[in-house]
Amino acid sequence: DRSSVGPTAHIHSGISQVRARDFDDPPGLMEKTEYLLREWVTMHHSPNNSRDPTKAFGLFVHQMNIHGILKTDDLITRFFKLSTQMCVDLCYRALAEPNTAVSAVRAKCFLTLDAFVKLVALLVKHSGDTSNTHTKINLLNKVLGIVAGVLLQDHEMRGTDFQQLPYQRIFIMLFLELCAPEPVLEAVNYQVLTAFCHTLHILRPAKASGFCYAWLELVSHRVFIGRMLAITPQQKCWGMYAQLLIDLFRYLAPYLRNAELAKPVLYLYKGTLRVLLVLLHDFPEFLCDYHYGFCDAIPPNCIQMRNLILSAFPRNMRLPDPFTPNLKVDMLQEIALAPRVLTNFASIIQPLSFKKELDSYLKARAPVTFLSELRSNLQVSQEAGMRYNIPLMNALVLYVGTQAITFIRNKGHTPNMSTIAHSAHMDIFQNLAVDLDTEGRYLFLNAIANQLRYPNSHTHYFSCTLLYLFAEANTEAIQEQITRVLLERLIVNRPHPWGLLITFIELIKNPTYKFWTHEFVHCAPEIEKLFESVARSCMVQKQV
Amino acid sequence: GVAPLGPVPLQKEHQLQFAMMEAAFYHMPHPSDSERLRSYLPRNLCQTPPYYQQVQLPHSDTVEFFQRLSTETLFFIFYYMEGSKGQYLAAKALKKQSWRFHTKYMMWFQRHEEPKIINEEAHTSTLITKNGD
Repeated sequence: DRSSVGPTAHIHSGISQVRARDFDDPPGLMEKTEYLLREWVTMHHSPNNSRDPTKAFGLFVHQMNIHGILKTDDLITRFFKLSTQMCVDLCYRALAEPNTAVSAVRAKCFLTLDAFVKLVALLVKHSGDTSNTHTKINLLNKVLGIVAGVLLQDHEMRGTDFQQLPYQRIFIMLFLELCAPEPVLEAVNYQVLTAFCHTLHILRPAKASGFCYAWLELVSHRVFIGRMLAITPQQKCWGMYAQLLIDLFRYLAPYLRNAELAKPVLYLYKGTLRVLLVLLHDFPEFLCDYHYGFCDAIPPNCIQMRNLILSAFPRNMRLPDPFTPNLKVDMLQEIALAPRVLTNFASIIQPLSFKKELDSYLKARAPVTFLSELRSNLQVSQEAGMRYNIPLMNALVLYVGTQAITFIRNKGHTPNMSTIAHSAHMDIFQNLAVDLDTEGRYLFLNAIANQLRYPNSHTHYFSCTLLYLFAEANTEAIQEQITRVLLERLIVNRPHPWGLLITFIELIKNPTYKFWTHEFVHCAPEIEKLFESVARSCMVQKQV
Repeated sequence: GVAPLGPVPLQKEHQLQFAMMEAAFYHMPHPSDSERLRSYLPRNLCQTPPYYQQVQLPHSDTVEFFQRLSTETLFFIFYYMEGSKGQYLAAKALKKQSWRFHTKYMMWFQRHEEPKIINEEAHTSTLITKNGD
């Protein structure tokens, strides 16, 4: 994290002020804060002020002034720090009370937390002139930093006794307050969203795992998703939201890859699937644009989670039914258009010397040593299951593919089964298919299958590539693995990406692949039955 | 589930994270944690038998639906669900049924007969009143 520049500077300074140990508060400040906070909670909840808090706020600011809190920025910051800690302590005390009903405990906590949040919101709104957005946003970032700092410290000190409640309440209520339909707030809404995103990124599950459920609640809150993905113009917040999802996927990855889901992981995983379903339904273009980064973070065995992302397609597009007999994919207009990929995958190809060698090989189709050294460039360890640099593999596959499409177009052709063959690009793919071990080939074929999505130029190119690799394979092992990668993405519950279905149907339908003559198709009765049922649903006769 | 790449033992870091997550699992966020405080009808989650209605009726968040409710129900919603969409819809439905809200008395009024005197500021007549208490 860059701490010294940009909008995060104030968040980080807030965090570090909480953490500083030699940072004694001036004598009497604690008592003053406690007195003022109590005063404000009473004022805020008195029936006279419930409709319009501005009068009470005016009086309260006057009191703060009398007590000298507003004299310096430092004193204001300390006031917020002490207030946050007091609110949190109150919640711990309420939660520890025995034999109290959930709603009573909650009500007790919320009375103080909500009043504190209202005070912060009003201070942010009224700090500086109406037009001075900097003061408002700096103050907001500072307060968010302080709350995050108190959270992290609390999380560290209390360990497994940590409670998410006070922090979740402060964050969500403050967010809702600052998204109220008021011109002053609307003018700074983008900066408010940025401030919250930075804070949530700092508090991502990997950094504060005791806060992960509340974190997911915040990230998936309907108002938050609405603001981030729908209301803010020009998709300005999409990148930040994608980062938060990647934080979530990265956190889940080590647990998911072992496929042994303990209950706490299962709950978080189910929540993640629900969020993805909401996004697939309401914001499919968002999943389309960021699919690459998401697939990079999701472990290869999470088939359904990845299918949710890969099944997304732009809402204005009509996908032809993959089961239509004699469907001519080449004739679809969309096949000529490249999808948007908002991850700079070319920059992932590291080290730079390797990227240079790759580019010169793509240009000159020489030296052959580049191919023989390819495997060692991708391999990072000898340990089974962790041998390869998966992000590098993904980046290499997509980069070579996109270069190939440009190359074929520049020659005045369109990608199809014959134009993709016999080129530097296909050399690389064929070499990877033949030279890699089972683990590497599995990852390689997965990287290809990740591009089989809605009708676009990548889907078409990689569909042809996969079928070509199947047809030209020198061993049945390669063909078996291609079938495996396709099949394992189809036997899970829906949704299934369009390009994946198209590719698999072509494989079993087109007699040139002699699919049914392969031994692995008949290796076990269950597998054979499975293929037959898939074939039946594709409405083709079994060819023997 | 399957792990085609084989299981990899969790690192120390992940074990520590798991312990914190497991602790958090036992005090999950409550639905009310991210909602405005409900003073009269707090959320009270409990398991109900599956043969009872588990979700609200479809389209029960429209003015048309609220107009089919009895006035008593609308008054209940109005006074006991303050600040909610339900309160807003109840007020709308009441207004459509010619009830008017008096902001000083905090009560809903409806004409019982034609007013006897009408002028710019006020009109007097027999009214049916309803209040929350």
